[in-house]
Amino acid sequence: MNRRIAVIALLALGMAAGAWFQFTRRSPEGPTAVRVAAGEAGTPDSGDFAGELPSATIPPPKIPDRLPQFSLEDRSGKTTPIASFAGKSLIINFWATWCAPCRSEIPLLETLQAEWAVRGASVVGIAVDHRDEVLEFADRFKIGYPLLIGEQDALDAAASFGVASPVFPFTVFTDRRGEVVALFIGELHKPQAELILSQVQQLNDGQIELPAARRAISAGLSALRSST
Amino acid sequence: MKILLATVLLLLAGVSSAKPWWMRDSASNETDFLPPDVAFRVSAGVDGDIIKVRWVIADGYYLYRQRMAIRAESPDLVTLAPAMPPGVIKVDPYFGSQEIYRQQVEAAVRFTRIDGGAHPLQIKVIYQGCADAGLCYPPITKVIYPEVSRAVATAGSHPFEGIAILAGGVAFLLAGLLLRKGRKIELPAA
Repeated sequence: MNRRIAVIALLALGMAAGAWFQFTRRSPEGPTAVRVAAGEAGTPDSGDFAGELPSATIPPPKIPDRLPQFSLEDRSGKTTPIASFAGKSLIINFWATWCAPCRSEIPLLETLQAEWAVRGASVVGIAVDHRDEVLEFADRFKIGYPLLIGEQDALDAAASFGVASPVFPFTVFTDRRGEVVALFIGELHKPQAELILSQVQQLNDGQIELPAARRAISAGLSALRSST
Repeated sequence: MKILLATVLLLLAGVSSAKPWWMRDSASNETDFLPPDVAFRVSAGVDGDIIKVRWVIADGYYLYRQRMAIRAESPDLVTLAPAMPPGVIKVDPYFGSQEIYRQQVEAAVRFTRIDGGAHPLQIKVIYQGCADAGLCYPPITKVIYPEVSRAVATAGSHPFEGIAILAGGVAFLLAGLLLRKGRKIELPAA
């Protein structure tokens, strides 16, 4: 019996020593601790490995049901309310000149503008960037669809769609009554665009209601994703 | 090790909480992408007269070398240009060939302090990256306090560490011997 107690005591001592060693052992790697004093680019103040972890996914945007109201300067510098496009189904594309996927989807946006104009749809590009760089870029790439340009005011416009800390590109689709049908984050491709626009078309024709259109888009995008 | 654990926990948390957006009846695919501070995790430490800044980059994400910068933020701090390892070349039809980093990158910045360290050590890091899935984050600027690396600061500062390991080992061995001895006694005589 005494022997058994001695064995347990020694095992406990061994475990305690091991645990103490583990707790006091320092990482052999270099930097371990960071405190973030300030995030200047509107990013959340995290990045502290030792402290609380940032949330693992982007919080879902609170997408408005209707097109929010905002105004931005167009290419000529004229302040243009988004409402000036009222009556059209809109493909509102938020982008920036430094963003490679934004650049690569421009040909698709040009195609959509050409193909869907007869069906009452229009692309509106919203460049969240320095005005002079956007103008130079738009000339070089011969962007034919309307452009609105802004910095903080364009970020505010993005926030009005529920995208508070934006990533680029992202595209908002509305029907001609100004209902926000879908918000697509990342580079848009033709199958996705056509899927969403076909639902917009059905909304415009009164064949379906918004919740059904959103569900169909969700299911369709999911199917497209799993097929790739 | 801590970072690995944090990453695993984070991934688990992500798996459990990231309900696909189509199941939330929200017409957005936003949760397909990581928030910038999860996609790119930055930390910094001091090793002698070098500040080491490390970025841990999530799978499928990358940082542009040309858009990374480290600057002195404390008024008394003077930093040299960071030494960066070579990246891999990404060819973009519009940007041309660009050097990018994946997985992890560490920059070393040699520094001196004018007033002998009266101010807290602060640096500003700037970086910009994208996801392979076709999405980019705006440039991120953070002011961080690199802390003296624990490995450097505490080297040899735990004199009992060796003793603890030894004591644990000896205790384990003794326990084993005692157990063995006990078993022998309880065996029926042949």
